[in-house]
Amino acid sequence: MSTITLPRLQHIIGSGIVAAVGASVCYVSYTQQPSEAFLFPRLISTVFLVLALWTFIKACLGWTKVGNGISMIQFINLAPGLVIALIYIFWAAKGLGFYTATTIAFFILFSLYDPAPHTVLKSWVKRVITTACFMAVMYGLFALLLKVYTPREIFF
Amino acid sequence: MEFIYYFGDVFTPINFSLLLLGTIGGLILGATPGLSPTMAVALLIPFTFQLEAAQGLILLGAAYTSTVAGGAVSAILLKIPGAPANIATTLDGHAMALKGEGAKALQLSFLSSAVGGVFGVLLLIFLTPVLAKWALAFGPSHLFWLAILGVTVIGSLDSNSVVKGLLSGCIGLWLATIGFDDIMGAQRFIFHPSLGGGINIIAALIGLFAIPQVITMFAKGRKNDGSEAIKVQKYPIKSAIAEMMRNKRALGIGTLTGSIIGLIPGVGGQIAGLVAYDQSKKFSSDRDKFGTGHPEGLIAAESANNAMVGPSLVPLLTLSIPGSPTAAVLLGGLLIHGIFPGTDLFDNHPDVAWTFINSMLIGQILMCIFGLYVAGMAARVAQVPQSMMAAIVLGLAVFGSYSVQSSMGDVYVMATLGVMMYFLERFGFSAAPLVLGLILGPIAESNFIQGSMIATATDGLAPYFFGGPLNIFLIAIVVVSIFYSAYMELRSRRYTSKEEIMA
Amino acid sequence: MKTLLAGAAIALMGLTQTASADGHANYPERPIMMMVSYGAGGATDFQARIVTMTAGNEDALGMPVAIINKPGAGGRVGWNWLAGQADADGYTLGAYNVPHFIAQSIKGGVEYSTASFEPIANWGADPAVLVVGADSAFNTLQDVVDFAKANPGKLTTSGAGLFVGHHIAALQMEKAGDMKMAYIPTKGGGAAAMKAVIAGDVMAGINNLSDAFRAASAGNVKILAVADLERNEFLPNVPTMMESGLAVDNASVNFRGVMVPKGTPQGIIDKLAATVPMMFENKRVAGKMKAGGSPMHIMNRDEVLAMWAAREGTLKELLAGL
Repeated sequence: MSTITLPRLQHIIGSGIVAAVGASVCYVSYTQQPSEAFLFPRLISTVFLVLALWTFIKACLGWTKVGNGISMIQFINLAPGLVIALIYIFWAAKGLGFYTATTIAFFILFSLYDPAPHTVLKSWVKRVITTACFMAVMYGLFALLLKVYTPREIFF
Repeated sequence: MEFIYYFGDVFTPINFSLLLLGTIGGLILGATPGLSPTMAVALLIPFTFQLEAAQGLILLGAAYTSTVAGGAVSAILLKIPGAPANIATTLDGHAMALKGEGAKALQLSFLSSAVGGVFGVLLLIFLTPVLAKWALAFGPSHLFWLAILGVTVIGSLDSNSVVKGLLSGCIGLWLATIGFDDIMGAQRFIFHPSLGGGINIIAALIGLFAIPQVITMFAKGRKNDGSEAIKVQKYPIKSAIAEMMRNKRALGIGTLTGSIIGLIPGVGGQIAGLVAYDQSKKFSSDRDKFGTGHPEGLIAAESANNAMVGPSLVPLLTLSIPGSPTAAVLLGGLLIHGIFPGTDLFDNHPDVAWTFINSMLIGQILMCIFGLYVAGMAARVAQVPQSMMAAIVLGLAVFGSYSVQSSMGDVYVMATLGVMMYFLERFGFSAAPLVLGLILGPIAESNFIQGSMIATATDGLAPYFFGGPLNIFLIAIVVVSIFYSAYMELRSRRYTSKEEIMA
Repeated sequence: MKTLLAGAAIALMGLTQTASADGHANYPERPIMMMVSYGAGGATDFQARIVTMTAGNEDALGMPVAIINKPGAGGRVGWNWLAGQADADGYTLGAYNVPHFIAQSIKGGVEYSTASFEPIANWGADPAVLVVGADSAFNTLQDVVDFAKANPGKLTTSGAGLFVGHHIAALQMEKAGDMKMAYIPTKGGGAAAMKAVIAGDVMAGINNLSDAFRAASAGNVKILAVADLERNEFLPNVPTMMESGLAVDNASVNFRGVMVPKGTPQGIIDKLAATVPMMFENKRVAGKMKAGGSPMHIMNRDEVLAMWAAREGTLKELLAGL
């Protein structure tokens, strides 16, 4: 029917993780007190677990119909961006201050995925200007207009 | 007809320029991914302290109206809804943008927003006393059944697999229980300090929609050929109006559902769009086309979420009960000037009340005009290179989720949910049912607990939850909805298997 | 790039200045934020915004105060954050609601107690009142008490949550009248609890005086009694519970004020404690508060410390049996 075969192993791992989360949620909600407060979680987690197991079994049998998984090329493409984004969010934003971290992350991510050639000076100039413009807009919008006080460790 | 008398006040230079300012500002803020209407309105509070009562309300009202409509822009072009109200808009709106019909989708969304919005405000003008009774008719048991009705939509929403749709919904329902339980005050599933406050719906919304988009753009890598850029075809406004008029049924369902659901304190705004989308899908002859860029779905969703604006103010203006966070902020805008909503407002300050309501009517039309004007330009946002767009959206997501309540924890929650959602999406799960679960969970739970407390103190669980015409009516809709979904699922399954045999 | 460098230089200068300045003579040097543990538009939020609106004046703090809302679980979310995650640098203030946070800390399950915070000043006192729907058969507190005694556990009474002022008032009423009521906590604070009364979902409700006053003037509810030591200026015709024969004192009165997390430099606390009460006394503030139907009650740091200690004692005793 289609030329792409579903990456069955990925589906098994994916739905396995979901089922594992379901099982632990279920375990926690049935063991925690007070039981009135956990009435709803118990109900939800039971349905959650049943559906997750169903999906898991279907994945194991190779009956999964939807979802294409992630191809190797996609994964290689997204990995560096994702790593930088995670460092940015979970460490740099607080550690360096929002504006500094966002400037650096924006510049790196934009340069990393910008199709313009890295060897030409012009493309670097364009990237610097774009970053500066974006940060100016962000500063104007959040700091000046909306008056949000974001963490600012160094610089502004 | 008292309201006509106060129309002149809307057009005084100061009032009208505030109205323009609120409308344009609201459109821009609403269109920015990561900023929600409540935030935009809350941020305006300090300004209203300095203004006259009517002026402050005009500004707040205009901002409220146009942020709701502006949220459609990012929902359509980037698949990032600005507020829960715009989730349903992403389903067909973004699919249309991918087909190069971004301009058309935006025009349709602003037009149907205006139709719904004007209808909603007219209801507010003419039927306020009747509507106030209706808003009060919904007690805990009814709200519980309404939430359950919402749950029945989950399975069929934006997913090709009912099981995975339901499972996504369950994940959302579970996520909603994280944090302190609001009634008992018990701690549930707080396995990280960031979760102490539970999962903030706006932060979750940003994460679940924006982050997967960012990662998807990363996954495409360094593309050089420009083939990835979405084309934007020009679309004449006249044809957009004609297209909207062709879809009268969707427009009607959207407007009515939005008006009715918008009225209910505490529930309406967030689910009006989704319920209207689902209803018009069930009544449509082209229901298979929903989700593939079908104008009907877009029209229903957008007319509903603006139709809700007018009625959602009824409980506030008549009973002085704010039905939504935005209404609560508007209440503050009145109280600061010593005006109490209710009879005091309409009897002693009719100039304030009617100028405000009239300005919302004019605001809807202004919003539509500006929206149509920028639709063509805004659609070009889709042509921004992927590399730049990914970085922009990521930055906005971080700033946006932080500014909801100045909390780093919300940023972590946003990112974690977002990365998780990207991988789940690759395996056939989808974000819309998950968010619906996140919204409905607390409504269902708190109303069930509250209802059962009242019931045990009075006439018992069964009569409380199953008695009374409104309960029975809602239960009937729930049952019909479930059977209908099951029937459609079976029919389509037989259909596909037949097709498979043929192939 | 030049501007960036210039900005960096200025920032560095700013840093050294902050470090060298001792005694916090220059405090505050930047806008201050104040956390409110209830949603935007709620009574606490509304009042917090009014009493801080003159903060930017030269005779007050000289810097504006921005309100940050961290709502959830009857205030627990916000106060947990203030006690555990907020920076104790004097730029993060919090609004307190007594008896709420004290009762919650006694009940447990939270990361704060009175020892986690340093009070600055009190701005308001909002007593709890007993309300019934406008068309209710109850006309006096006695009617309500009679019903509750005749039908133990049948009198459904809404309030904003568990272990908030409203709940304390309900507990005190039960104890004083030797009766049993069905207290229904609502999600969504006082507004939702009031809606339940107006809509007739419940038979009675305990609510904030400021919200009830508004609802009563709109003709939607009747206010039967005030849980305070004396009648309130907004409601001179409504008796206190004591007058009506129910021994309920002012333990449930919702005191609102400003505090900072423990660990904030003493110099800053002293400076705030000296300036903030004066800021509350501003005429514009008083005018706006009165217009909004919010009773004011200004207390300085020492008075608040005494009030906290007194409340803690009363509440420990009241909640001991639960």
